[in-house]
Amino acid sequence: MNFRALLGVAPLLVVALGGALLMVAEAFSRRRDDDEHGPTGPSSELALATAVTLFVGAIFSAAVWFVGPEKIEGANAVAPYIVVDRFTTFVSFILCLGAGLSALLAGGYLPEHKLDRGEFYPLLTFSTVGAMILASAGDVLSLFIGLETMSLGVYAMTGFRRTSPRSTEAAVKYFLLGSFAAALLLYGAALLYGATGHTDFDGIRQALITPVGKPNRGLTLIAATLVLVGMAFKVSAVPFHMWTPDAYEGAPTPATGYMAVAVKTAAFASLLRVLLGALGHPDLASWGSGWPPVLAFLAVLTMTVANLTAGRQESVKRMLAYSSIAHAGYVLVAVVAMPKAGAESQGAVLFYLLAYTVSTVGAFGALILCGSRGAEAVSYEDLAGLGKRHPAAAAAFSLFLLSLAGVPPTAGFFGKLNVVKAAIGAGHIALTVVLLINSVLAAYYYLRVLVYMYMRDPAPGAPIAKPMRSGYVAGALVLAAIAVIGLGLWPVLPLRVALAAALAAK
Amino acid sequence: MSSYLPLFLLFLIAAVLAVVLFTLATVLGPKNPTPEKLMPFECGGDSEGSRFVRPSVKFYLTAILFVVFDIEVVLMYPWVVSFKSLGWMGFVTMASFVSLLVVALAYVWKKGALEWEK
Repeated sequence: MNFRALLGVAPLLVVALGGALLMVAEAFSRRRDDDEHGPTGPSSELALATAVTLFVGAIFSAAVWFVGPEKIEGANAVAPYIVVDRFTTFVSFILCLGAGLSALLAGGYLPEHKLDRGEFYPLLTFSTVGAMILASAGDVLSLFIGLETMSLGVYAMTGFRRTSPRSTEAAVKYFLLGSFAAALLLYGAALLYGATGHTDFDGIRQALITPVGKPNRGLTLIAATLVLVGMAFKVSAVPFHMWTPDAYEGAPTPATGYMAVAVKTAAFASLLRVLLGALGHPDLASWGSGWPPVLAFLAVLTMTVANLTAGRQESVKRMLAYSSIAHAGYVLVAVVAMPKAGAESQGAVLFYLLAYTVSTVGAFGALILCGSRGAEAVSYEDLAGLGKRHPAAAAAFSLFLLSLAGVPPTAGFFGKLNVVKAAIGAGHIALTVVLLINSVLAAYYYLRVLVYMYMRDPAPGAPIAKPMRSGYVAGALVLAAIAVIGLGLWPVLPLRVALAAALAAK
Repeated sequence: MSSYLPLFLLFLIAAVLAVVLFTLATVLGPKNPTPEKLMPFECGGDSEGSRFVRPSVKFYLTAILFVVFDIEVVLMYPWVVSFKSLGWMGFVTMASFVSLLVVALAYVWKKGALEWEK
């Protein structure tokens, strides 16, 4: 192994080293206990440093992409534990981007709501390291390590508001269910190992194909089911979504944004690798005898239940939580289409994850922007009349919600378009119809926010959300807005990049 | 499979023997309870307080730090044994691992996790 090989894992190393430095910097920074100075505590600088670290990680990912991971000699020296290919690089880019934007949001949010503790940033960074490992894992062992590294940080971030029972409840709930899911996944992995004698995805697939010493079919099915259930927990597909609304609502909003974006993206990336790699056997990937109908069922359930429930929410944050579940359902449609539509479908998944990341971070960021001084904007009523009082905040919120709803010319529209194209290409007409009906359902609750912001005046005497002033949040929103509009206006190049990334994952 | 049969029999006999002995002792043994005798035995002294003692969280912290640095040493032994064959790559790998742990040590030190009384 030579040291040039490290270039391939450079994004991972940058983020990990940055996390270690941030941790020390946080410990040695002076803690200000007075609240008089407002949002200028040490954590604001830490937020900037974290965002810079993560954006540098994203730039390194892009650099590895341009060099070409396959051209870096020895980049795959530790494969299959860490696979360096275009798929990894693309997903790492999305993860770093989403996490960096979340860090900027935290830089404004935490001081404003008196949660000014610097531990948030190293946790965020290390969690991103875990997510990147998860996305690049070609082996069950490193998959599990990545998953746990990612989750541990997120559990702690969920319970960050230590004095609030809500936040603690969310953290405990998430921790228990998350550990349970991890245990199921590990059990499934152990059974897969028992059935095939391999822990790497390629080895498992080969063993399932070889007619000699054929693995026990029942054992394989049980193992595959357990692994899929574990993954479904992480991407919060119905009926494994119960933790999501509570965890998302109880967590501080930047952490919610991070969970909705990075955790889901990494889990989907890993799901693709597992489905294409370990369970890529033609029998297991066929409609008649494999996972596609199961995932199709999950997709239909996820979209429908999430959208119906989201429409009934009174809290905007909870609505966004259900919306993120619904989006997992849309992505699952493209995942179902994978065996038939091939790379086009995987490209659709990756593009969707990118579009979803920038739109969702933006939406949570806009929600953060609408609250200040310990008073967060919670309900629809809090947002009433925002369009007149603070047009910029309202415009940003509207843009991201329209993107989530899939209105052209935004990123979300092309994300959905590609998913629909892939699903039709694979002949899943019924699934496509369900997706389209659900998009219409979803438009109701997204547009409801717009109606409140632009067409309602706040009820007399009602607490009015005052937007906060924060360069960090504003900066994150501007970046996200540029990405949302850019992806919406020029979707061809990013889509081509996503396709190239998809081809790398076999 | 049949080679495990004696082992299984051993477990069975052990279980039966335990049950039988305890049952016999309970049924046949003389009983003469007094309040003194029914008290929990605590080194001959009078027992005090609740049975449920909540250990301080400080023990947990110390224990976890111990485990972390213990594992470090566990990983170092095989490295030392194969130091020559691993060459510079092995040295750099171990050096980066140890320096990461030093960073962690600096962190817990600064945070005051190594002080028993705060």
